[in-house]
Amino acid sequence: MTPSARLQTAVARGYARVTASALGPRQSAVVRIGFSFTWLLFLVREWPHRRELYGPDGPWNWDMAARLIDGNRAFSALMWSDSAVWFEIVYALAIVSSALLLVGWRTRTMSVLFMIGVLSLQNRSIFVGDGGDNLIHLMSMYLVLTRCGQMWSLDARRAARRADRAWPPRDTTGIVLWAVTGTALLWAQLFTEARLSLTADGPLPGLGWATVLWGLWLVQAGWWFVRRYAPGEPRTVSDALANVAHNGALLVIMAEVCLLYASAGWYKIQGSRWQDGTALYYPLHLDYFSPWPWLADIMASSGTLVMVLTYGTVIVQVAFPFTLLNRRAKNAMLVLLMMEHLGIAVMLGLPFFSLAVIAADSVFLPTNVLRWAEARLGRARDRLAAREVRLPGQRARESDEETPAGTLVR
Amino acid sequence: MADTEPEPAEREPTGPEPHDGEPTDLEPTDPESTESKPRGSEPAESAPDGDAVEPLSTLSLPAQLIIAVAIAVAAVAAAIHLSAAFLNVSPPNTLTKRHGAAIDDYVYPEFERVWKLFAPNPLQQNIAVQARAEIRTSDGGTATTGWRDLSAQDGAAIHHNPLPSHTQQNELRRAWEFYVGSHDVRERPQGMRGNLSEQYIRRIVMLRLGREEDGGTVERIQVRSATTPVAPPPWSDEKIDTKTVYRTLPWWTVTSDDLPEAKRR
Repeated sequence: MTPSARLQTAVARGYARVTASALGPRQSAVVRIGFSFTWLLFLVREWPHRRELYGPDGPWNWDMAARLIDGNRAFSALMWSDSAVWFEIVYALAIVSSALLLVGWRTRTMSVLFMIGVLSLQNRSIFVGDGGDNLIHLMSMYLVLTRCGQMWSLDARRAARRADRAWPPRDTTGIVLWAVTGTALLWAQLFTEARLSLTADGPLPGLGWATVLWGLWLVQAGWWFVRRYAPGEPRTVSDALANVAHNGALLVIMAEVCLLYASAGWYKIQGSRWQDGTALYYPLHLDYFSPWPWLADIMASSGTLVMVLTYGTVIVQVAFPFTLLNRRAKNAMLVLLMMEHLGIAVMLGLPFFSLAVIAADSVFLPTNVLRWAEARLGRARDRLAAREVRLPGQRARESDEETPAGTLVR
Repeated sequence: MADTEPEPAEREPTGPEPHDGEPTDLEPTDPESTESKPRGSEPAESAPDGDAVEPLSTLSLPAQLIIAVAIAVAAVAAAIHLSAAFLNVSPPNTLTKRHGAAIDDYVYPEFERVWKLFAPNPLQQNIAVQARAEIRTSDGGTATTGWRDLSAQDGAAIHHNPLPSHTQQNELRRAWEFYVGSHDVRERPQGMRGNLSEQYIRRIVMLRLGREEDGGTVERIQVRSATTPVAPPPWSDEKIDTKTVYRTLPWWTVTSDDLPEAKRR
């Protein structure tokens, strides 16, 4: 084969690969589930404190937030109105959209609402967040572009059920959801201080939130129309475009995780405490990060242990992006990184930060492990179903309904 | 920057798309396709729902062109986005000096990254924020309360708490970072952020002290930080001074704007 022919084949293969399917369907599902779960857990945990963190009882009040946002033009639906009722609505919507994104119900719409919830709350009070919030902030935007509901979702189950139908259904629920979100957006645009602009103050230079949100809304309608009335080429092209966007966003997610570890590792190499092998000793003795002092004392009792963990942290973080070239090395690193973050969750009292990082790491989980988990959960569901068949009477009605595992794993 | 292109990602809200696993004859069996890397993972299981998806190679020229342009746009967008992300976390360098404004314009406000976790060095000192109040007593006199360690209250709330709240772990701690970052050594506020940070600190203090303190009405408050270096580990022969150093701010008069429960609307 001549080099030019080989190049041609490679290009054609790459073309086929990025357009023919949304790659990493299970990985993107795990990322979706991981981040929506983390944010949902956080919102529920902060329920008693919600009005202090983001609402009318906050030391960072609405006027102060308005002054800051006037300068940086960040997006927050909470700034559309200063009423306490509106705050409660937004907080409730953030909870509901996280839960529905978690189970994969109307994933496309929920991913957008999830993003709106994350940005609205975090940008309202940027000084109560930490690195975990920052990661959720970024990923909530990337998730909008990924087809993260292809597996392990209610959407996937519904699609499988109507697989034998020749014609896509009218989908009344989808139409209602589309009309409701459109009406809400129109209300925000016309009757609030939303300042949704076509070209200014958006997520990226030259791209306003009005363009983004109305654009997503129109694409939703276009997709429905194409599926129903234009099968064949328009349908194929739309599918390919969605795959291209998904694969691009997935690439960005993976690159961001690499960047996270690379930058964390490279900066650490320059620090004297990471060089002398005592760095991990110090955070364990900060009052804000030591929920279990006795645990920290046990760990800090061995200088060798602290030194090994300190060096190990830097080595793993710096090495991680390069280990992607080798599957086994990558998997070993992934296990180490996840274990380290489980440790951080407990030792430093940073559970939400750690969950967010683990959710991001999950994009690199090997497919065979995910398939294995899928099979196990599927078997567990089948066993549950079988047991319910054997227990007639009261239980019979329940068995008609899907178990939680069954809704997520087909 | 795949984000500039919201359109193709949107799809009907009803679940996965069907597609054929081997869409073209151009893709031979790839030994890596069952590999674990997400990029190399197998395509989603087909969920055929009746729509026939044509192999891409049989598409008309305009359709092929649209897809080709979309791929180019996505590739360029991702490249720009990741370059900006890289330059956002990198130390100041030739490129950031030349294009700093453009990078900031791109990254802020939604794509900022605050990731220098425990780097280059972890924090090695406990910084406690403390406050005291000047109160007007019922008999008309004034008195000054003792210092209250608000960070110690946070620490007590975090102690044995598997799920610390952001109100305990971040609120005061980050407010103080905000204050320090927006004031010079003579406690003069730098711009709007400086003024906002002062008001923020006052409101946090008043939220925690309350309007009434030690049987009087709080009229003025004073805030200080107490910085205590963490002692070196027992196995280290390093000697450092672990004496607490104070940074004391001037007295602030409390106004109704500083009372969190004051609802002026």
